[in-house]
Amino acid sequence: MTDALREQIRAFILENYLFTTDTSALGLDDSLLGRGIVDSTGMLEIIFFIEEQLGVKVKDEEMIPDNLDSVNRIANFVQSKRQAA
Amino acid sequence: MFEPIVATFTQVARREPEATAIAWRRVRWSYGELLKASECVRDALLARGTEQGARIAILVRNSPHYAALYYGVLAAGCAAVPLNAQERAPVLARQVQHCGARWLFVERDHPERKALTAALAGSDVQTIEITLDDGPDCVATFMKELPSGSPARAPAELQRDDLATIIYTSGTTGRPKGVMLSHGNVAANSAGIISYLRLSRADRGLCVLPFHFSYGASVLNTHLLSGAMLLIEDNFAFPKVTLERMQNERVTGFPGVPSTFAILLGRCDLSEVDLSAMRYMTQAGGPMPRPLIERLRQQAPHVQFFVMYGQTEATARLAYLPPEELDTRPGSVGVPLPGVEIKVFEESGVEAAPGRVGEICARGPNVMLGYWNNPAATAEVLKDGWLHTGDLGHKDADGYLYIDGRAADMIKVGAFRVSPQEVEEVIAALPGVEEVGVTAIADEVLGSAIKAVIVRRADATLDMRTVKAHCRQQLASYKIPKVVEFASSLPRTSSGKIQRFKLA
Repeated sequence: MTDALREQIRAFILENYLFTTDTSALGLDDSLLGRGIVDSTGMLEIIFFIEEQLGVKVKDEEMIPDNLDSVNRIANFVQSKRQAA
Repeated sequence: MFEPIVATFTQVARREPEATAIAWRRVRWSYGELLKASECVRDALLARGTEQGARIAILVRNSPHYAALYYGVLAAGCAAVPLNAQERAPVLARQVQHCGARWLFVERDHPERKALTAALAGSDVQTIEITLDDGPDCVATFMKELPSGSPARAPAELQRDDLATIIYTSGTTGRPKGVMLSHGNVAANSAGIISYLRLSRADRGLCVLPFHFSYGASVLNTHLLSGAMLLIEDNFAFPKVTLERMQNERVTGFPGVPSTFAILLGRCDLSEVDLSAMRYMTQAGGPMPRPLIERLRQQAPHVQFFVMYGQTEATARLAYLPPEELDTRPGSVGVPLPGVEIKVFEESGVEAAPGRVGEICARGPNVMLGYWNNPAATAEVLKDGWLHTGDLGHKDADGYLYIDGRAADMIKVGAFRVSPQEVEEVIAALPGVEEVGVTAIADEVLGSAIKAVIVRRADATLDMRTVKAHCRQQLASYKIPKVVEFASSLPRTSSGKIQRFKLA
């Protein structure tokens, strides 16, 4: 997986939910929900970002914490979807 | 004779100690376990000599641990002060200090724990950390974390007017507003809701609403008082997961606010899961768009849908629309709960005729005692025995109530009340801000979102990110402005008051 993808995802979350460019504010494995960074509507926005900006369609059954609840999980999910496509 | 909810809960738990009270993550707490854990909390408070009526703050997210703390505090004759788990440390610290809490139970993994503990350093608040463990020994782990000792006094017999809980609602930053609810309030409102929803031990409710606000608290209480099972969903970020849980656990009831249903129906189709056990869904927390209600009914036609109305100052619930009236009285929030009286008053003080709009006022056993330590704010809303809700509405010829707007200057984001003044005060504290006005803008999911318009000082270089980052440190996420604009001046009335409606 490219670091660029991880950093793109991290930058989106930093910009929209933590309002900073300081990458130390968000660890790659930090739980987005557990740390209170996003709530249920924020998660919908992240899914929209994945679909619109990263070009990966998220199916209903793929909307689970294992795929979406940290930068690394999102990156792994996007990467595996791209490879499968 | 008056029966407080802790007494009812104890009876229910002793009758069927093996029945599941709460299902959460990997564990299920039986009624027997929950009772035992709450008695442990009660004894810990009594052992430390905590006096009757002492305020005990709770910053713990939805969990069986929360329920044990809440019921234990009430059983000790103390007042539970549930804190908004989405709030930030500065607001939380002010609330803890405002209510003069003796103890604070705080979740060890809560993101604000360290900052809150630091903010309270030097005060005489005793902090007890609670681990939200979901392992097989979690009940024992919970009880081990509580201080031990023999009770220094017997729990007092609770009276109807004794303070049970203080729920903080959005006030301005300097003046927190704590709604004081009595044991009589909570018992009466819970009984009313149980009766119209016909809740029983056969029910399995699934709760995504936070227990710290009045709607969530009413869901917790009504289930535990009727011997039903409550399934807690930690978060509602993955609606498909929640729907599957409803199907697999044969859930019978689902309470939500308009944004809950917008999220649920936004990506999922209810007809694709087996919801045959689902008996009812309830909606409160502001008006739900009619098309959304219709979509819900199309996808789950067998489910009774209750539109409801209330506010924290009335414990939770004031009125509900019987589902069979949903088609004949679209837009109505229904009729008062048994024992509750609702009238619409015109500005002149006379009762409005059917069809005429005025302020909705209520009286009954669910109306709060007042705001904690704030007689001026209490006097503004409790007048001549009536609770003045600040909502505008009218009744039809048959007495059914309709909401026409809000008189008081509040924004509803999701189901949460946000005071524009609170957000303005936080932004105004930023260097470089000359003045600021905050208003509501339409939001597809949440109904409303926050917009801030800022006038910068001449030499300031303030940008949107700095404003949002500052708000995030001070305010719950839902209070952070979604839109920040900069302007050269703010629209004002001739008397100099900001015209917030012109900022949208």
